[in-house]
Amino acid sequence: MRGLTVTKVAAVAGSVTLLTTGCLSSGSSSSDAGGGSTSGGAKKTVQIMFGFGGDQTQGFKDSLDPWAKQNGIKIDYVQASSFDTLIRSKVAGNAAPDIALFPQPGLLKDIAGQKKLQPLDDVLDMAKLKASIVPGFLDAAAVDGKTYGVPVSMNIKSLLWYDKASFKKAGYQVPKTIDEMVTLTDKIRATGTTPWCIGLESGAATGWPGTDWIEELVLKQAGPEVYDKWVNHEVKFSDPQIKAAFDTYAKIALTNGNVLGGPKSIVSTAFSTAANPMFKTPPGCYLHKQGNFITQKGFFPEDVRGDIDNKVGVAPFPKGTSDTVEGGGDMAALFTKGDSNVTKVLKYITEDPTFGAAWAGPLDRGFLSPHKDFDVSKYGNETARTIAKIAYTASGIRFDGSDSMPGKVGAGSFWKGMVAYTSGQQDQATTLKQIDDSWPTK
Amino acid sequence: MIKVVNALLAILSGVLGALLLYYVLNKVVERLPNKWEDRVKPYVFVGPAVVVIGFFLIYPAIRTVVLSLANSDSTAFVGLKNYTDLLGSSDFVQGALFNTLLWMIVVPAVTVAFGLGVAVLADRLQPRAEKLAKSLIFLPMAISMVGAATIWRFVYEARPAGTPQIGLLNAVLAKFGIDPVAWLQLSQAHVNSLLLMVIMIWAQVGFSMVLLSAAVKGVPDDTIEAGRIDGAGERTIFFRIIVPQIWPTVITVFITVLIGVMKLFDIVYVTTGGNFNTEVIGVRFFTELFTNGDNGYAAAIVVMLMIAIIPVLVYQVRHFRMQEESR
Repeated sequence: MRGLTVTKVAAVAGSVTLLTTGCLSSGSSSSDAGGGSTSGGAKKTVQIMFGFGGDQTQGFKDSLDPWAKQNGIKIDYVQASSFDTLIRSKVAGNAAPDIALFPQPGLLKDIAGQKKLQPLDDVLDMAKLKASIVPGFLDAAAVDGKTYGVPVSMNIKSLLWYDKASFKKAGYQVPKTIDEMVTLTDKIRATGTTPWCIGLESGAATGWPGTDWIEELVLKQAGPEVYDKWVNHEVKFSDPQIKAAFDTYAKIALTNGNVLGGPKSIVSTAFSTAANPMFKTPPGCYLHKQGNFITQKGFFPEDVRGDIDNKVGVAPFPKGTSDTVEGGGDMAALFTKGDSNVTKVLKYITEDPTFGAAWAGPLDRGFLSPHKDFDVSKYGNETARTIAKIAYTASGIRFDGSDSMPGKVGAGSFWKGMVAYTSGQQDQATTLKQIDDSWPTK
Repeated sequence: MIKVVNALLAILSGVLGALLLYYVLNKVVERLPNKWEDRVKPYVFVGPAVVVIGFFLIYPAIRTVVLSLANSDSTAFVGLKNYTDLLGSSDFVQGALFNTLLWMIVVPAVTVAFGLGVAVLADRLQPRAEKLAKSLIFLPMAISMVGAATIWRFVYEARPAGTPQIGLLNAVLAKFGIDPVAWLQLSQAHVNSLLLMVIMIWAQVGFSMVLLSAAVKGVPDDTIEAGRIDGAGERTIFFRIIVPQIWPTVITVFITVLIGVMKLFDIVYVTTGGNFNTEVIGVRFFTELFTNGDNGYAAAIVVMLMIAIIPVLVYQVRHFRMQEESR
């Protein structure tokens, strides 16, 4: 009889094991949705992974859910607060989502280079996209002549912010060119007040606002052609044209008396609230350069944000030889090949110029559509409309340069270099050489 | 909700499953002839554990060593290039490696010294005062390293001069009309690294104190009295009678803290992210793997760390054995 008990027990043990494994895999959100594979069918659930959070996530859902419901597709939203890290490990583990919204084309191109992404040229209507999307965007995610990413949302970095009241009171004019900007800076400093508020601190990503400054100046002073070559390292950091951008940055940021707290405090000032002393009386500073995301909750003081159209002035960052704007965007990329529902979702979020209306307003979540034919009346306030028009009328747009560089540089040595250079720990020549040396050799 | 249920199910069936597995294996072995039963039984009980450790610890370790000899995306072998590159770059050697060494020299020693000091001094307080003092010092142990680092970031926080200082140290300076200091940027003479070490020491002294306090209380009173009768002063009693008797505990604490320091990541990552020349090996490993996507460098760094920790582990195991034997 003893043998029988043992068999029974073994059977129970076996079934328990089976039961558990079954349970666990269904818990991890429909294992078949974890794409990255070829599927000829039409998935009921489409998995989309993205890095933005909070209000942005809600805006994205508000824009996509009604459409998805109509079309009988369920969207599995995977919000990843450290997107870069997660997407890398998901791809390495063959558990990539169907669609991913890459905040950084550098990473997108890395993964496309590993042949893990599907080229979109035959999937989407490229001619239509080219006519509708702000020029220069699609090239950002091209590898070997094929497009691997299309923007779903847009953000603009080439913006100059000022306090309307104090600017008017002091009788300053918004600078139109970089020379005017330098002159205005000197003029404000001469009155004994501080012209600029600048902050580079951003936790583990400290330094990126500094790279934005350099990118802006390269783009404006040397033009988009040099900028593109620079992003691909065909023009080096030590090149005189790039050095010139560092020189202008030094003139603005590293001159004593130009920045609130002095150069040392730039690197320890949080980028998110750096501009806020601008709205004090007397103002702590008069000018601030930052992307359009700063109008979202958690940046400007609440009372200023509540009355943003009247209190805050925004203008395009002064031009040099070029007026191309710098921006960014979440680029949709496709992992799952040949699935009709996945393609349908991708087409809706990238090709339809009405997509994002619910995201844009009236709450003002800082969303901008990359489509020039997007209905600007959908934006929540005048500030957002002004910003969108700056982008839609610019001669072109370039993706954030550090985002497009290899991660080792764009999220590594360039960030660190800006911190060391700004804090005075390293001189310009050493910084430029170190960034050049860190460029990965193929 | 489904996730909670799943988690509970997993825990429950994991524990029950393990119990059942051993039960079944035991039953199976009992059916063998007696002589064989005795021979096989130990292996049956140790076997699953060995398999699991092998699969989840030994195999990944070997795999890491293999990857450390391959290129950045692990597609081709490059020999020892990753090691020579890293050890040849002054950035790594004078930065991450040197800083880690500095941490290894300073933190365990200071932690043991403070812990011992508190243990001995608190021993002389009234029982209630002793409890209170020890609880306060032990308190930081309840905070995760990330939490501790975040708290200390506020201590060191620097705001532009003229704006309200929210950082404790700079607020004190502001009271005396001194301009704020960007503490975490003071890379001369590694002052900022030392300031970060304060965090680790603050968090670990409690642990050190508890173990050493128990050891100090375990020192037989008659040995101390004998010393007193022979005319020994307080200092002599401490260094010649107490310390030698609690030495094994001192070593244990020292080594535990040392290993913790070698694996250090969170404090530096949270406070400076490795900027201002505060980078340590753990942070560098993270950046190589996740920022730079360089599997080769990342693996090489961990292998070096593993090699550096092995002697410490061997010493600890030996030390432990010696202690067991002397009992």
